Amino acid sequence: MTTTNRSSIFAGVSALLIPAAIGMVFFYAPLEKTMGSVQKIFYFHLPLAFSAFLSFFVAFVAGIMYLRTRRQIWDARLAASVEIGVVLTTLVLITGSLWGKPIWNTYWTWDPRLTTSLILWFIFASCLILRSAVEEEGKRATYSAVMAIVGFVDVPIVFLSARLWRSIHPTVIRSDSVGLESSMLITLLACMVAMLTFWIGLYKFRVSLQLQEAAASALLNPKH
Amino acid sequence: MSSLRQVRFLLCKDLRVELRKKESLVSMAFFGALILVILNIATGIGKQVDAETGAGILWVAVIFSSVLGLGRVFAREKENGCVAALLISPAAPWEIYVAKALVNFTLMTLSELVLVPVFYVLFGAQLNGDPLNLVPILLLVNLGFSVTGTLISAISAGTRRNEVLLPILLFPLLLPLIALAVKATSAALAAQPFSELLDQLEPMAAFCVIFAAVGYLLFPFAIRED
Repeated sequence: MTTTNRSSIFAGVSALLIPAAIGMVFFYAPLEKTMGSVQKIFYFHLPLAFSAFLSFFVAFVAGIMYLRTRRQIWDARLAASVEIGVVLTTLVLITGSLWGKPIWNTYWTWDPRLTTSLILWFIFASCLILRSAVEEEGKRATYSAVMAIVGFVDVPIVFLSARLWRSIHPTVIRSDSVGLESSMLITLLACMVAMLTFWIGLYKFRVSLQLQEAAASALLNPKH
Repeated sequence: MSSLRQVRFLLCKDLRVELRKKESLVSMAFFGALILVILNIATGIGKQVDAETGAGILWVAVIFSSVLGLGRVFAREKENGCVAALLISPAAPWEIYVAKALVNFTLMTLSELVLVPVFYVLFGAQLNGDPLNLVPILLLVNLGFSVTGTLISAISAGTRRNEVLLPILLFPLLLPLIALAVKATSAALAAQPFSELLDQLEPMAAFCVIFAAVGYLLFPFAIRED
């Protein structure tokens, strides 16, 4: 019961923080000189990307911990973070494309970061498909733990090889890392905090839901 | 020394089964050749492809046909409950992993002996690179595909949707390897010197090493039947 209460606290706080962050994006942060109002999407894009990578890192750690301890809680954590990670990566790809269209004049380009996000999305979405295809709980947990670990190991390889296979590099991509105006930085940090609070709330909800589902199915068909 | 014998024993066993039934190899070569013919028609009859497109076509055929063989590597063991027998045999899980990866490596290499000549017959008119330069690329991809694929096929064979899940799980992981292979192959087909290929071959070798290590560590978990 306490888990649910704590997750509602995080959800409640993020319900206040996210509108506040949106307010800051539109009323506090200054308009970017060359990109104009389009650049506002950056304040969501970066926190989304950060929390997506965080989800996959949590899934990786949970996968290792599951294989070591075989405790169900780690499987629930893995499942929750993979689910959230896939949703957030989808949003990252969408916001990135929307931002890319007016700025780079294309929705898609094979830049290392874009490539890495896309392949990450594929790997972890396939992990979700795998979970839906296996009925036995122990098997499902082991298989998805292996996939989460393998998938995470693949990330740096994808990033490095994407640099190699693409010889014509759009250099524009670095535009987001040049020094930010301090009010922009504060807005970005506010968005980051809001997003992370939201992430924790969502994560706790999903973990407790996974555990409840497991408990319910254990009641329905006791140990075959 | 004894693990070497175990691996050789398991490898010979699988190759003997393959030699008698010829199910994987024939379907791999046949399907691969079929894909090459389809792509030849798709690129437009009478048109010559350049090195870059040719490289992509060769790899589509190789990867898609290899998945057929890979799916059989474990499905064959699952069908009669042979995995359990393998696990209670004196062979350690990692020895099974190495043997299975070698089986798949052998099957891929043999099927490429058919596919690459077919590729040259259909698309070779404009490609003037030395075909021997393709050999290291092919071998590295076979190795990377086998070490990654054996781990993933142990997972997918444990589910009831093996044939569907295997490519879905495997292809995203292989993307970096294949992308590098396509780049190296297009350089080889465009008659660039071998030293030009090393930029791609080195990271490909690194991919093989990393995934061999990952497979070695994770395979015992993936194969165990609780």
